Amino acid sequence: MTQPPSAPRSSLFAKYFIALFAAVVVPLLVAGGSEAWFGHHDQKARLNDLLEAEARSAAAKIQDFLDGIRDQLVWTVQLPWSDGADERRRLDAFRLLRQVPAVVSLTLVDATGRERLFISRMGLNKIEGGTDHSASPALRNVSPGGAWYGPVTFHAGSEPFLTIAVAGTRSAVGVAVAEVNLKLIWDVISAIRVGRTGSAFVLDQPGRLIAHPDISLVLRADQTAIRPLQALRARIAAQSGQATSGRDIGGHMVLAAMAPIPGVDWSVVVKQPVAEAFAPIYAALWRTGAFLIVGAGLAAALAYWLTQRMIEPIRVLEEGVARIGAGQFDHRIDIATGDEFERLATRFNEMAGDLAVSQERSERIGRLKRFLAPQVAELVDRSGDDSVLDGRRIEVVVVFGDLRGFTAFSARAEPEIVMSFLSEYYDALDRVVIDHGATLTHFSGDGMMVLINAPVSRPDPALCAVNMARDMQKTVQSLLRDRQTLDHRLGFGVGLAMGPATVGRIGSEGRLEYTAIGTVVNLASRLCASAGNAEILVDMAAAEAAGGRAPLVELDARVLQGFDRPIRVFAADEAATG
Amino acid sequence: MPCFLRQTVPATRRETIALLGAMAASTISARAQQKTTPVIGYLGSESPEPYGSRLAAFAEGLAEAGYVDGRNVAIDFRWAEGQYSRLPALAMDLADRQVTVMVAPGGAEVALAARSATKTIPIVFEMGGDPVALGLVASLSRPGGNLTGVSSLSVEVSLKRLEFMSELFPAARTFAVAVNPRSPTSASQSRNLQAAASSLGLELRLLNASSEPELETLFAAVSLMQPPGLIFTSDPYFAYRSRRLAELAVRHKVPAITQARDFPNAGGLMSYGGDFRQSHRHTGIYAGRIIKGEKPSDLPVQRVTKVELFVNLKAAGQLGLTVPPSILSSADVVIE
Repeated sequence: MTQPPSAPRSSLFAKYFIALFAAVVVPLLVAGGSEAWFGHHDQKARLNDLLEAEARSAAAKIQDFLDGIRDQLVWTVQLPWSDGADERRRLDAFRLLRQVPAVVSLTLVDATGRERLFISRMGLNKIEGGTDHSASPALRNVSPGGAWYGPVTFHAGSEPFLTIAVAGTRSAVGVAVAEVNLKLIWDVISAIRVGRTGSAFVLDQPGRLIAHPDISLVLRADQTAIRPLQALRARIAAQSGQATSGRDIGGHMVLAAMAPIPGVDWSVVVKQPVAEAFAPIYAALWRTGAFLIVGAGLAAALAYWLTQRMIEPIRVLEEGVARIGAGQFDHRIDIATGDEFERLATRFNEMAGDLAVSQERSERIGRLKRFLAPQVAELVDRSGDDSVLDGRRIEVVVVFGDLRGFTAFSARAEPEIVMSFLSEYYDALDRVVIDHGATLTHFSGDGMMVLINAPVSRPDPALCAVNMARDMQKTVQSLLRDRQTLDHRLGFGVGLAMGPATVGRIGSEGRLEYTAIGTVVNLASRLCASAGNAEILVDMAAAEAAGGRAPLVELDARVLQGFDRPIRVFAADEAATG
Repeated sequence: MPCFLRQTVPATRRETIALLGAMAASTISARAQQKTTPVIGYLGSESPEPYGSRLAAFAEGLAEAGYVDGRNVAIDFRWAEGQYSRLPALAMDLADRQVTVMVAPGGAEVALAARSATKTIPIVFEMGGDPVALGLVASLSRPGGNLTGVSSLSVEVSLKRLEFMSELFPAARTFAVAVNPRSPTSASQSRNLQAAASSLGLELRLLNASSEPELETLFAAVSLMQPPGLIFTSDPYFAYRSRRLAELAVRHKVPAITQARDFPNAGGLMSYGGDFRQSHRHTGIYAGRIIKGEKPSDLPVQRVTKVELFVNLKAAGQLGLTVPPSILSSADVVIE
């Protein structure tokens, strides 16, 4: 009980932490996870719409660039050609070149396909050059009142150029053919911003890069370098035009959407880095992560605090219980937490008090047992209370018995024989006394005193006493018969009397006896002394109480020492008992 | 409990030491980086003063690429002060200094001098001519070696200057052409001009000038012609002396056209040539991108998109000329 208890399998802290962590973290995880999940979906849908709108807007800007040139060209094909040189038309052409920086050269041809005017930024102008353009793709493909866009060509393998032909509504006004330097789309494309760092680029139908914020990428005209951009376009096309993710030239993951430019059959692709596009989601995830860490910290702190709150009273309780267990019943567990611990401590204290009382009693009984007759002690032990031994006045039957001729026997016989005989004698009598529920209160030498009806009350004590006395006689007489070889002169007499007596403990703490005091004790003792061998003398009170149920024979009244008048005496008929 | 604590403790002592070490190393490397600020070797054929507007455009482009002189980049200037023969030695000097990138703006001479000085240090040129024809790069889209740069198209458009002059003097059959015989592009320009003249039915009088006194005599000679129309071939030597040429033109009452807008701005009649602000700005951008780690061979040669016509009507008035509507319609800027 006093050895320290073995270490616990799991600590309170771990249990509290797990519980609190779950309480804090599970809702956070659920909330954060669902926020991220739904946010991701919403954001993706929103981004798809946004990027597609951006792509359309970018495509519209590129379209505007081309339409602006076309609209300018339309002005040069308004009036029919005359035969001679047309100075006004020449001035219009100069103005157009000044107005539209992207146009590098302009060729005006008449209805027959003859070149009437050629104006260039780099080369010499030609008036009435007369070259036949009727077989050129521009003239063959352009429809009246419409515009034709040629394929993109890379001058000197570097600069992208486009031929735009615009025909007048009537064939007489001829056709204007312009060479357009597509490098100037850079102003448009570099101004397009998707989100914070997203950008746009333009691929023509065969997948050549026409416009990109990094102009050097366009000028390099390197098909292998722009393969990722082509792959990106292919991915979007495979998704039937839906915004999709892929890698750009730098290898970064981007979200991209595409919009076509119908007239020229180009694609404008807008892209935004995934990291930027999903930045709000990542921020939410980071937030959740931070909350989780804070939550875990909080759970740990709470668990620690709760554990500390628990551990201290538990320690006090444990220590207190150990001390009480060690027999320190006066120890009191001092806990004032106002909760179940305090209640538990109070219970322990009450238990300690009860234990103290109970131990005190058992100690007292233990002490009593040492000095009381075994029957009395047993009785006290059974009842758990020694109040039965308290002094009181009660009607008792006192039985005395002693040996005849014992003094002479003890003087003659060896002490060992004397002691062994006495031992047998008392053992036998003790059994009889116990059998009859009487109390052997005292014996000295060869005599003994037995009480009936005290401290244990008995019904019909007189009859019981007579019967017991006869059993005693029988037992002792048979014992004496067995010992006849020792001495013929040994005998046993019994006297009993009934009457009120004061019974109870007498003596000091170290030497206690349960006994009876009163005339009846003297009477019984005198009757015993008066009885001969094998004789049982009964006083009148006992004889009357026994009534006719015991064979009693009245003898002559006897004068007994200490009694003024002769006493009526009855004898239990030995023979009658058979 | 202790087990749990051990998990949450963020760093063991060893990790902490490693972390501190990494931090220390990063500050050291940052300091080292500060020490090795990239250096641009700038090779100029003239002095800083005529280069002023070009330097501003260059700085603008450099800033666009994220670099500012004196802050995160240093520019080491070498000026030939108009003595083009000094250029190779100055270029060698810059190469010996192991500059991060060499910038050779202002014509073919400078670019050629830079190329002869180093085969390893990246060079960004700025010139009027065709770098492929000059053998500086393999092609415009893939320069190949350690050179790339910007072409301002000024050399290509020499013949347009003849055309504008002929527009101004429709009746004239002969025009004077100023040629710098030392220029690497003089031969090709002369050839182009001759071809253009013959297609226009004109004759040319080629006059050489590569020094101050020669310019004097050139203007004096042209002023005696009837009409005294003078076309300047594209050459940095002329371009950087726009102010001087304008003075001479005014003094000798010579209608002249050059490549640089500085000329009509200083009182000359006309100019037609590439926008040097654009070309120098792109030079700055390329220099910045090379400092950032891009290879010149990956940067295609850029050609300016803007060729501009400047006309000074005041000068025309002083010369007693009426500028025809065709020129006025084409003019990007008309100075009145």
